[in-house]
Parts: sequence; C-alpha cells; structure tokens
Amino acid sequence: MINDNPIIKITNASKSFGELKALDNVSLEIAQGEKVVIIGPSGSGKSTLLRAINQLETIDSGQLIVDGHNVCDLDEDINAIRMELGMVFQSFNLFPHKSVLDNLTLAPRKLRKIPREEAESYAMELLAKVDIQEKAHQYPAQLSGGQKQRVAIARALAMNPKIMLFDEPTSALDPEMIGEVLDVMVKLAKEGMTMVVVTHEMGFAKEVADRVVFMDHGQILEVGTPIHFFENPEHPRLQKFMDQIL
Amino acid sequence: MAEEKKKVRIDVGDGAAIPSKSDKGLFSAWLLSFFLAVGALLLLLFYPDPEVSDKYQEILVFLADGIVITFQVTLSSIAIAIVIGFFTGLGRLSKIWIINLIASTYVEVVRGIPLLVQLFYLYYAIGEFIKMPDMVAAIMAMSICYGAYMGEVFRAGIDSIDQGQTEAARSLGFNGAQTMMYVILPQAWRTILPPVGNEFIALLKDTSLVSILGVADLLRRGREYASTSFDYFQTYTLVAIIYLIITLILSKLVSKMEERLGQHDQR
Repeated sequence: MINDNPIIKITNASKSFGELKALDNVSLEIAQGEKVVIIGPSGSGKSTLLRAINQLETIDSGQLIVDGHNVCDLDEDINAIRMELGMVFQSFNLFPHKSVLDNLTLAPRKLRKIPREEAESYAMELLAKVDIQEKAHQYPAQLSGGQKQRVAIARALAMNPKIMLFDEPTSALDPEMIGEVLDVMVKLAKEGMTMVVVTHEMGFAKEVADRVVFMDHGQILEVGTPIHFFENPEHPRLQKFMDQIL
Repeated sequence: MAEEKKKVRIDVGDGAAIPSKSDKGLFSAWLLSFFLAVGALLLLLFYPDPEVSDKYQEILVFLADGIVITFQVTLSSIAIAIVIGFFTGLGRLSKIWIINLIASTYVEVVRGIPLLVQLFYLYYAIGEFIKMPDMVAAIMAMSICYGAYMGEVFRAGIDSIDQGQTEAARSLGFNGAQTMMYVILPQAWRTILPPVGNEFIALLKDTSLVSILGVADLLRRGREYASTSFDYFQTYTLVAIIYLIITLILSKLVSKMEERLGQHDQR
C-alpha cells in the first residue's frame, strides 16, 4: 500500500511534555487514499501524533511532510496547509453561536471566499450526505451527540480537504449513537478519502482500514492489516490491548 | 464542556445594578426609582408656582451643555477603554511572558491608584512637561483607568470560551486574528457585555470627577450655576436627578441587550 509519494510522511518525530515522552522517534508514511487507524491505550501518544499532523501540537524534533509541505517549517503557511486537513474532535467543537448551516459555511466563505449562496448549497449537499439536512437551521445545542458529530464531519468536509483526521470521534457518544457516526465515516472511506483515525472501534477498523497502527508509550509498536491485528498480533502489549478492547 | 462555563457572570459591579427579568425585586426597584426620578423632574419643571418652575427650567437650560460634555467624555473614554481593555485582556492571556508581564503590571498599577489621583497626575504632573487641554487629559485618564478594569473583563470573557473552539477554528485554517473575530469574540461577548455595560455606567458617574480639572461637564455646570446664584439646593437636586435618570436608562438598555444576546442559549 505504501507508494513512492506518500501524502503524509512522518520521520523520527519526537515530542515530550516535561518528563513524559508523548512521541518517541515515530515514523509513518500514509499514501493518498489510504485509511489508517491508530489504536493504543490512553496516553500512548496516538492523539498527539494525529494533532501533530495539523500542528495543533508541535513536535520537538523530526520531520513532518504533509501534501508536499514541511509543516514544521515556520516559513510555510500553516493556515493554508490546515485548509487541506479536515479535523474531527472527540468533543465535536461545533460553534455554538452559529446555526448548523453557518457552522459549515463560515470557513469556506471567509477563507476560500466562496459566495454565500454557493457555500450554502454545497453545505446542504454535505448535510444530506451525513443525513441531517433537516437540522440545517437549528443550533448545535439542539442536536444530539451523534448529530453534532455528523455536523462536525460535514463542517470539515465543507473545506474540501485532501485528508481527514479523526481524533476519537465516537468516544464521547452514547453507545446508540456510535453507529450513525461510523456509518458516515465508512461512506467517506468508500469514496476514497485519505483518512487517519484514532479510535477504539475495531469493527470500523476491520471494515475500512488499510492498515492499523498500534502505539504505546509514544512509540509505534506494530503496523499491519486489520486481519493481522485480529488473527496474529505479535507484540505482547498489542496482544494484551486487543484482549482488553474486544 | 463549554456549556457550564458559559453561565459565568462577571460582576465587577460598581455601576448601577443591571435589572433582569428573572430578578423581580430589582426589576421593581428599577421601575420605582425611574418613575420617582422622572416624576420629581416633571414636578419641578412644571411646578404650579411659576416662580419655582421657572427657576428649575432655567437651571436645566444652563445644565444642558454639561450633559452633552458628560456624554462626550463618557463615550470617548469607553471607546478607548474597550480597545485598551481588549488588548490588555489578550496580553494577560498571552503565553509570551514579557507581554503578559506588561499587561499585568499595567492592570496592577492602575488599579492601585485612585482615579482622582490619576486625573490630577495626568493633568497637573504630566502637564508640567506636556501641556494638554483639560478635556484630552480627562478622556486619557478615564480611558487608561477603565482600560485596566476592562482588561480583566475581556480576559475572563475570552478565557471562558472552551479551548476546543480555538482548536476547531484553527484546524479549519483560520489564523489567530480570524479565530478571535469569528469564533471567540462573538461567544465571549455575551459574558463580556454585562460587565462592560456596568463599567460604562460606572464611568459615566465617574466623569463627574473631571469637573475638578475644569471640564464643563454636568457637575461643573451645576457648580458654576450654584456659585453665582446661590441656589445650591435646586441646582444639585436637578444634577442628581439627571444623573439618576441617565444611569437608570442605561442600565435598562444594557439588560435589554443582555437578554437578546442570551437568546440562542435557551433555544
């Protein structure tokens, strides 16, 4: 699956929070269109790795190339790079002062200078895609968790990003709402979007992931297909982790 | 998440109490004060005995210029204070230590010196080196003083917005300033507005201090009239009633605005 021209190339990335090594010499390449699921116990550095990709966390050393841009280079326009990177958070982070529709159109209108009508009609298409178009004129406070997360995914898609990053998108949801969010993500994966997903949902991993990455203590301990992870995990810590979450 | 934090209400509170519908006691106190003040004003101006009513009408005409000046000083000062306060608030939240230190020191110093002393200092002490018109000195002193208080209001208001909001905006590609303008301030505003309104009312009352520098505000005009006519009682009664009516109207406006801003929370 690894080709010569990865869209994300992480080389020897390290990051410490005081004593804690959140990332310890991590290298990973992700190809265009690839779906990578990152798993690992909490505090393993998986969210830090994901957040480093769009520079919500800076790395102390190493190199990070995204879509041909060195994101650690201060001369690069990080805001322009971020426009190509959709991000979905565990806690949704919708803008509570804006309607669902305005949540979707704010960035395209202000950053891509798309006229309101055009932005709104595209936003409605995306809301239909995540099956929530009837809530377009409501406010985030009126939505359920699952609905909020679907809107958050649509908001990220509204910028037409090349890559989507998901940071534990279903961890804050009630169990009965997890399915509706995963369905949207599966649909997105099938359309060929490049996706990097931090999650514990192994069912999702099995269905869409090209590769699964297991992290612990800031290191990547094992990389493989979902089948490999289910059938013969090699590293003892991965075996233990798989036992715990399945 | 942010839901709980949003109910924060900052009460720096030396302005008039801002009435809200949920507070019945205060609401009726507002009504009572307002009708008493307006009633008293009308009674004095249209008193059956023309000798009395003519006197009050004459005083009111004399005071009119002062009311205009009082508003000029208040509006100019609050506008500048809001700008100073915004940057001071950002400075107080800054991770760059030198900026943080400058902003914090400014707030500490200004809050530790009485406004009247600041007015004297700027007009008389600094005035030894840079002579400025009394009006300019007055507005500068008021802005610098209230800018520090306003800085705390902005700091608390901006700080009350969940960090996730900034992360969401930044990851969409907004830069720091755009994030502040489109995402943080529109939300922080609802926390910031009530105390800013309070400060506005407090500032309006404090402008009476500038009369000491010779600025012909409402109180100064009153003093001028009283010192020539010796009608101290009539003059200062009218001055007090006018201040009261203005601050009552303003506090009502602030509470109306607060209600409107709070609307989308309840939906």
